[in-house]
Amino acid sequence: MNVVRLIARDELRLMARNRVAVIASVLMVLLTLVAVASSWAHQRGIADLRERHQHAAEEAFDGQPDRHPHRMVHYGTFIFRPLSALAAFDPGVDTFTGNSMFLEGHRQNTANFGDVNQSSLLVRFGQLTPAFVLQAVAPLLLIFLGYGAVARETERGTLRVLMMQGASRTQIVGGKLLALGTVALLLALPAIVGLVALAGQPGASALPMAVIVFGYTAWLLLWVLAIVLVSTLVRRSRDALLALIAIWAVMVVLLPRVAPSLAEAAVPLRNRLQTDVAIARDLRKLGDAHNPEDPTFARFKASVLERYGVTRVEDLPVNYKGLLAVEGERITSNLFNRYGSESYDAQGRQNAIAGAIGMISPAIALRSLSMAAAGTDFAAHRGFLEQAEAYRYSLVQRLNQLEADGVSYADDTAKDSGADRRKRVSADHWEAMPDFTYKAPTGATLAGRALPGLAIVLGWLAAAAALLALATRRLGERR
Amino acid sequence: MIEPALPILIEDVFLAYGDHPVLNALSLNVAAGTVTALLGGNGAGKSTTLSTLLGFVRADAGRVAICGIDPGSQPEAARRNIAYLPENVALYEHLTAVENARYLLALSGDTQDRAAITDAFAAAGLQERAWDQRLGAFSKGMRQKVAIAVALLREVPVLLLDEPTSGLDPRATADFNALVLAVRERGTAVLMVTHDLLSAADIADRICFLEAGRIVEDVTADGPDRFDVRALHARFAVSAERLAA
Repeated sequence: MNVVRLIARDELRLMARNRVAVIASVLMVLLTLVAVASSWAHQRGIADLRERHQHAAEEAFDGQPDRHPHRMVHYGTFIFRPLSALAAFDPGVDTFTGNSMFLEGHRQNTANFGDVNQSSLLVRFGQLTPAFVLQAVAPLLLIFLGYGAVARETERGTLRVLMMQGASRTQIVGGKLLALGTVALLLALPAIVGLVALAGQPGASALPMAVIVFGYTAWLLLWVLAIVLVSTLVRRSRDALLALIAIWAVMVVLLPRVAPSLAEAAVPLRNRLQTDVAIARDLRKLGDAHNPEDPTFARFKASVLERYGVTRVEDLPVNYKGLLAVEGERITSNLFNRYGSESYDAQGRQNAIAGAIGMISPAIALRSLSMAAAGTDFAAHRGFLEQAEAYRYSLVQRLNQLEADGVSYADDTAKDSGADRRKRVSADHWEAMPDFTYKAPTGATLAGRALPGLAIVLGWLAAAAALLALATRRLGERR
Repeated sequence: MIEPALPILIEDVFLAYGDHPVLNALSLNVAAGTVTALLGGNGAGKSTTLSTLLGFVRADAGRVAICGIDPGSQPEAARRNIAYLPENVALYEHLTAVENARYLLALSGDTQDRAAITDAFAAAGLQERAWDQRLGAFSKGMRQKVAIAVALLREVPVLLLDEPTSGLDPRATADFNALVLAVRERGTAVLMVTHDLLSAADIADRICFLEAGRIVEDVTADGPDRFDVRALHARFAVSAERLAA
């Protein structure tokens, strides 16, 4: 057996004979299995609930009686975003953003019912998910198992004993890396098996799953390198433990929580009330479709009359009120889209700032890659909102067009006792309206979004390896 | 015919830590099958001499060789020829005596079965009931016996000892000295750094006094009494006083 493997085997034997280390490792494995099982059950429950509600919402819309189309515009419908296959591994921003929306005319609503709004405050601290266990708990356990790997040998004088047997510095450090790396992979194994099992669901893609496995493996190896590096640099095990706990607290706990606050301070977002007030103000400026004297809609009316070659709306072959609704929705939707775009841009700038902070905290980069590959990051959420808006606009305009084509202007403006019935269109139309179908990002798209985070983690890995190589050259030197 | 390389060769070696010279034109050779004791006061350069031979520090000038190999440039190769017992023998407390021996021998490329290891333990005077005990409760003497047993099994040509008898009771010191002599009989070159003049006079073939990084006195055992211990003691005291001053 070569020297590196001999040293690694002895390090593993030391861990195996340490009762605390064995108990902690077993607890870690159990924690991971519980996280996998509870996340799967939680997400499965949510997915079933959403599917049922989506079905119920579609049935309710389709089951409406004969009605005026504009009544259906205001009746609206609920849509639900199906969970990504890997959401049980890393729920990402879904916990906060919610995945259901009420779609109606004249308004763009936001997503609702995130877990955070419906659960205890503990959810905000961090759910027990496989991703959380690997991001936060596994590095802590590796620190407790490995902080003394080299420092202990220096402190007790056995480093020279190893060297006296002909073991080189590189072989000694290599043996320690091999031992701790083996433990890291064993600790990650239940989560990886869980991930593969979770991803066995329909819609799962191998590529993002491979990125997640690769990313988390790199993350744990980064910690293995960092632990052995610190252990190599200091002369006492206790110093190594204190330094590593401090690094963990800053990198894993502090910076990931400070980064969003810094981003928010740098790029403040309007709150809901401010946005509503601003939109209402701009809507007033756009004009009032119900006011015949309004210049915007007066121009629209003139252009319609000119297009059809008539002088009165009553002579139009289509219902002018329907055309007016189509135009009104187009104008207000443009306004909503402008506000939405500004908000997305600001959130994009916030994410860029948080991503830049990720350069100094690989934990942020890892979370970013994990959420991106799992399809639970902001980009995936934005994709859902954009698809929802596209569907809302299409549905509302179909209903508005139905008013224009299916209800005569005379009936639509009549106020006699039978007018209400004449304004109605057949209920068959509601069923003919297409249902919302969420198009999930492809595996290649998800993997592509995860690449920046992966690159940062790999960069940190390379930097830690280079530093360890330098520290190894001075190992055991008189200081 | 090519002369076999000297097990320990130190020739005109200079070494300084910053502006402070530690070894100053030091020359010392140790032949196979001999025991040389290196005595000197604190700060005389004894530990640095050992560190230089072990390849942990490099000489600024001069020549150092273990069996013809420069430990400064080829530390791993040189160390394969050395067994080293520091003042406080460091071994692995989570391993038993047998496991320690097996691990250290495996690292140096030797594979010995249990019988060979326990034979070496018996030769080193380690009691049988201690063979399969973890080292946590071992005394210094017991640890030294484990380390000496490993050195015996490795059959290396050079044994370096750093204050081996400090902290040992007279009985343990006598046992240890007997072991060193047994190692010498096998043809091993032994260099012992010590403050223990009596022990050195008992087993050394040669006693060298180190002062300010150079050998100032080199006495070889002669006749049935071997050394004039009284004269050596006086010489050692003068040297120590000079260093302290």
